Amino acid sequence: MTKTFKRYHIETKDAISKIKFPSKYKIIRYNNCLNVQECAQTCIFDVHEVDNNGKITDPFNDYCRGCHLCTFACPKGAISLGINPEFDKLGDSYYTPDRMKTIYVESETGRVPVSGTGYKGRFAGKGFDGMWFDFSEIVRPTRDGIHGREYISTSVDLGKKLPYLKFDYNRNLVSTLPVCIEIPIPIILDAPLFFKKNKNLLIALAKTALKLNTFSIIKAEDYNNNLIEYNSNLVPRIFYNKIEKFSYLIKQSRIVEIEYDNFDIKYLIDRIKKYNPSVLISIHLEYNRNICEKVDILTKSGINIIHLYNNEKNSTHNPDFITDSIFHVNSHLINKNIRDEITLITSGGIAEASHVPKSIILGADAVGIGLAYQIALGCKVCYGNKHRINCPINVEEEDIDLASQRIINLIGSWRDQLLEILGGMGLREVRRQRGEIGRAMFYKNLEKKIFGDNT
Amino acid sequence: MKQKLLFQTPEIKYCSYRYQNIITKYEVIIDRSRCTECGLCVQTCPKYIGTARFDYEAFQKHEGYLRIINLNSQCKGLLCQKCVNKCPTKALSVRINPQYLALGDYRWTSDLILSIWKQAETGKLSNRYEYKIGSSGGGFDRLRFDFELKNKRVSNNQNDIEYIDTSISLNKSNDGRPRIIIPIPVYGADMSFGSVSLNTMLARAKAAQAWNIFTSTGEGGYPSELIKYKNHIITQIATGHFGVNAETIKRAKIVVLKYAQGAKPGLGGHLLADKVNSDVAKIRDVVPNISLFSPFPFHNVYSVEDHYRHVQLIKDINPEVLVSVKVSTPTDIDMVAIGCYYAGANIIQIDGAFGGTGAAPDIAKNNIAMPIEYAIPIVHNYLISEGVRDKITIMASGGIRTAYDVAKIIALGADGAVIGTSELIALGCKRCANCERGRGCPSGIATTDPILANYIDPEWGCQRIINMYSSWKKQWDYILTKLGLGSIKELLPKNKVEFKKGRFNHLIHLDHVR
Repeated sequence: MTKTFKRYHIETKDAISKIKFPSKYKIIRYNNCLNVQECAQTCIFDVHEVDNNGKITDPFNDYCRGCHLCTFACPKGAISLGINPEFDKLGDSYYTPDRMKTIYVESETGRVPVSGTGYKGRFAGKGFDGMWFDFSEIVRPTRDGIHGREYISTSVDLGKKLPYLKFDYNRNLVSTLPVCIEIPIPIILDAPLFFKKNKNLLIALAKTALKLNTFSIIKAEDYNNNLIEYNSNLVPRIFYNKIEKFSYLIKQSRIVEIEYDNFDIKYLIDRIKKYNPSVLISIHLEYNRNICEKVDILTKSGINIIHLYNNEKNSTHNPDFITDSIFHVNSHLINKNIRDEITLITSGGIAEASHVPKSIILGADAVGIGLAYQIALGCKVCYGNKHRINCPINVEEEDIDLASQRIINLIGSWRDQLLEILGGMGLREVRRQRGEIGRAMFYKNLEKKIFGDNT
Repeated sequence: MKQKLLFQTPEIKYCSYRYQNIITKYEVIIDRSRCTECGLCVQTCPKYIGTARFDYEAFQKHEGYLRIINLNSQCKGLLCQKCVNKCPTKALSVRINPQYLALGDYRWTSDLILSIWKQAETGKLSNRYEYKIGSSGGGFDRLRFDFELKNKRVSNNQNDIEYIDTSISLNKSNDGRPRIIIPIPVYGADMSFGSVSLNTMLARAKAAQAWNIFTSTGEGGYPSELIKYKNHIITQIATGHFGVNAETIKRAKIVVLKYAQGAKPGLGGHLLADKVNSDVAKIRDVVPNISLFSPFPFHNVYSVEDHYRHVQLIKDINPEVLVSVKVSTPTDIDMVAIGCYYAGANIIQIDGAFGGTGAAPDIAKNNIAMPIEYAIPIVHNYLISEGVRDKITIMASGGIRTAYDVAKIIALGADGAVIGTSELIALGCKRCANCERGRGCPSGIATTDPILANYIDPEWGCQRIINMYSSWKKQWDYILTKLGLGSIKELLPKNKVEFKKGRFNHLIHLDHVR
């Protein structure tokens, strides 16, 4: 049977949400406006319009891109432009308003954000902000760059990989191949955080996972009958003591995820394999400094995937935490020579497209996104109703397709940006980027090398 | 001792911004319920005594507040507050203008933008704005010259500062090609026709002629209007080869080979379809209204040997030309630099990560390549250890905003700098980042729209850029006087850049000083 090769492609289309994102700029027109309409003539973004009666309308703040020209042009100085206070209050120090806006726009259009002028942010920062990608130039040129003829693969494998294959004298394969699942993008959908039980959101997530051929993690307690048709792309997250209760989920899934507790791992694997011998077992493990022993034991006893997570709040306070955690675990696995025995998925603190390749460079195989897709659906990062407002992510039944399309757009845009990075580096495969620390430059190292004390 | 003027400096002429109401740093607000309209504030304000301008028509009503528009931005704000103290009913208060806060960003703060506008207008510095550093929290913004820290109240009286030689040589190797000397250690960056308008290019070319420096065509071909200024124009050859032919190479005194651009290294060029109109398409030999991608990299250069042949090809076409190689900053930038030297390049232009662009993916602008503050010392040290530093000119670009940045990068090991964004800010750019699509820049700089492009008058723009560089020249003179150096070449470190306790070559890094 011949199978025709098909390039993996994420189909994006415009998906406009009902939940409006506040505009970045706010224009105030003072009362001394004389209706000269100079602003309407100056603005090329249609912020100031003239209505049918020849009067100037209220400014459309959503279109404003902050060029300040209308305020200059007004002969009476009647227009003032400022940052919208509603916009400024959004998010926190990690999920900044600008980051949230970027996610929102990406999920609306599915395009790669392109703009003019240079970089506008801080020199460097903590965590992912203190990393720059290296790229290839004359010394190590790419063949083609991003717009070339060669396909750049973003597929990653979940599960154990063999270091080599064994054959007998008749060239028959002797080694038994472990179960390994290939997903076409290094992004999986983590279980949603901080929201009231919303079955439509879960259906949207499941739909997205099926369409993108990746996985969506869903807590076993939240399962409902509508999710049965998406089972092949769902990962139930089960507590250790509830394995028997949710045994029907283990039977129908390809991967199960177990919340880490101090349990007997051998016994756990036996219990799970009793229901489904071919299932991949993932352990959901919170990062801390003494994690290496646990990772060791888990890997050696035959767990397939470690899903490392950082508390979102923790990562907000100390962004160094995220990068350190991935690097720490990865280098430990390499030192113990067991890196390919296990797949490392990291989640928590993935807030923009560049964090995906950065996590992979630090040593993760794939990343799980959580808050990012919730922001795409309208989350305002209030961390569980801190301000006592209702969670805006209430996906209605008729909006399931829209919500799903928005997440697809977001991931499509992020994949395109991942391709930009891979193209710039001259890599043809995201698997080869894993753990390539040499492909990144670190603020701490460079600062010490140039300005620090070398004596 | 007065030094002989080596070069004629162009004349400074007052050249105001197109509009009258530019952004003010402070604004005065009036509580309408308390105001008795006695008019004392108008009489008190030192800037407006006796002027008819400050009438009650200038008061604006909004949400119960009246606002005074500071028509020519003379208000000293929190430093003065005379009107606030004088008001009998305490109706006045001074605050920072919200519009001032909306302008700018961490790298280019509102103060930097406004100070460049002031310099472009008058050719002089204004004490009111911070003109040296931004607030990005690293690199140039944490570096200071030691004289800046010694006495905090530095006088800005620049009349008594003598003229100091700031010229640099662009050809240090003895290869028989012309020794081009430019009077100030900067020249204009590469901006193509298509990414910026023709009027902008003309303004920059005229200013380059007046200052006897250079400006570059970018990769978008050589418009015939620029031939008049051919002695001051660099021809760029980039990976797209748009509008490049033997004729344009023969016309130039310097040819730059662009391997990568700091804002989007490894990704080639990118001009979105909206801006490719028929004029742009004609000069680039393409079809209008399609997006133009320059591929990455040069497909005839895959090794250092290829690179050598590439440079020699240019040198063969024009025996009088200097070859500059523009590269960005990967980790092995030192290897790239030495490769450029052995390939026969006269100038190596190192473009750091924070450089400007007409259009680039945001992920590339923020995350690829290292900042110029790190790259220049790495290259300088490596070339010194190879013993070839005095045979090649290093020009730094990408993220150099002010005269102080230029001086700092020279103290870190570059010969000079290449200036792009600052020139555009002098023309009225506000860094609103709308260069890439649609009709382009609302200020008429980075646009191909014929109506918008007319906003920039080449004569006016030329004078603004001249004024800015005149002010910068004075700042360099001031810095060199304070440091006790006779020429800007003495600021260039003779040895390797090695910071000891946060100090090196008159520079202090605030994060590492003990």
